Amino acid sequence: MLEFSPEVANTVIKTASYIAAGTALIAGVGPGIGMGFAAGKATSAVRRQPQARGPIITTMLLGQVISGSTGIYSLVIAIVLIFGT
Amino acid sequence: MNPGPQIVFYLFGKDYLPITDTLMVGWLTVVIILILAKYLTSKMSIRPNGKQNVAEFIVELIHGQIEPMLPNEGWRFLPFIATIFIYIGFSNLISLIPGLASPTGDLNTTLGLALTVFLVVQYEGMREYGVWGYIKSFAEPVIFLLPINVIGELAKPISHSFRLFGNVVGGGIIITLVYQAAPALIPVPLHAWFGFFVGLIQALIFGMIAIAYISVAKS
Repeated sequence: MLEFSPEVANTVIKTASYIAAGTALIAGVGPGIGMGFAAGKATSAVRRQPQARGPIITTMLLGQVISGSTGIYSLVIAIVLIFGT
Repeated sequence: MNPGPQIVFYLFGKDYLPITDTLMVGWLTVVIILILAKYLTSKMSIRPNGKQNVAEFIVELIHGQIEPMLPNEGWRFLPFIATIFIYIGFSNLISLIPGLASPTGDLNTTLGLALTVFLVVQYEGMREYGVWGYIKSFAEPVIFLLPINVIGELAKPISHSFRLFGNVVGGGIIITLVYQAAPALIPVPLHAWFGFFVGLIQALIFGMIAIAYISVAKS
C-alpha cells in the first residue's frame, strides 16, 4: 500500500479540486443556449405583437431564470470545491 | 480572499451565536429601509408631493407585478412580496459601498428568505384546498408520483435560495479578481453591472418566483 505524506496528499487534493471546479463550469453551456433561445423567441414575439412587450419580457425573464438554475448549481459547486477543500 | 461571511465576534462566551459581517450589514440595511420608509411616508396628503410620489411609485410597481399572476389578491400579498423586493434590492445595492459585504452573499440570509416563502406557499395551498386536500394533491394523477412531487416541492426552496446566493457571490468573486489585477477605474463598470443591474434584476426575480410558486400552489 502506497503511503503519502500529508503535504503531498493536500497538494493532490487541492489540484484535483481546482481542475474539478474548472470542469464544473462546462455546465454553463446548457443555460447559455437555453436562455439565448428564450431571448430569441421573445424578440420575435415582440416583433409580432409590440403592444405585449411588458408581459413577454416578464415571462421571458421567469423562464430564463428557471433554465439558468443548473448553471448556478455548477457555480456553487465550483465555489465549494475551491474554497471548501 | 475568501468570499462568504466572516465572523466578527461571538455574542455569548467564546463560541456561541457567532455574529458575522453579513449579519451586521443586514441590520444596517433594515435600519436604512426603516428610516427611508418613515421619511417617505411622513406627512402624507391626498395630493401627493415629491417624496410621496416615490413611495407610491414603488408600491404600484410591485402591485403591478403581483396582480396579473394572483388576480384580485394583489393587496393581500403586497406586504410580503414588497418586503422581499425591497430588502433584497437594498441588500444588493449596499455592496456598492466598498468594505460592506452584501447580506445576500450569505446562504443563511437567502435560505431564510426562501424557507419563509416555502412556508407561505404551503399555507396558501392548505388555505385553498384544505389540509387534507392539499396533501392529497401531491398524489395526483397517480399515487406513484408521490415521491417525485414531494422531492420537487422540497427542491424549490433550495434552488430558490442558491440562485440568489450564486449570483451575488459569483459577481463578488469576479469583482475581487479584477480588483487584484487592476485596482483603479476598470472595476467601475463591473460594479455597475453586478451591483446595479444584476442586483436589481435578482431582487425582482426572487420576488416574482415567490409569486409564481404561490400562484402554482393555489391553482
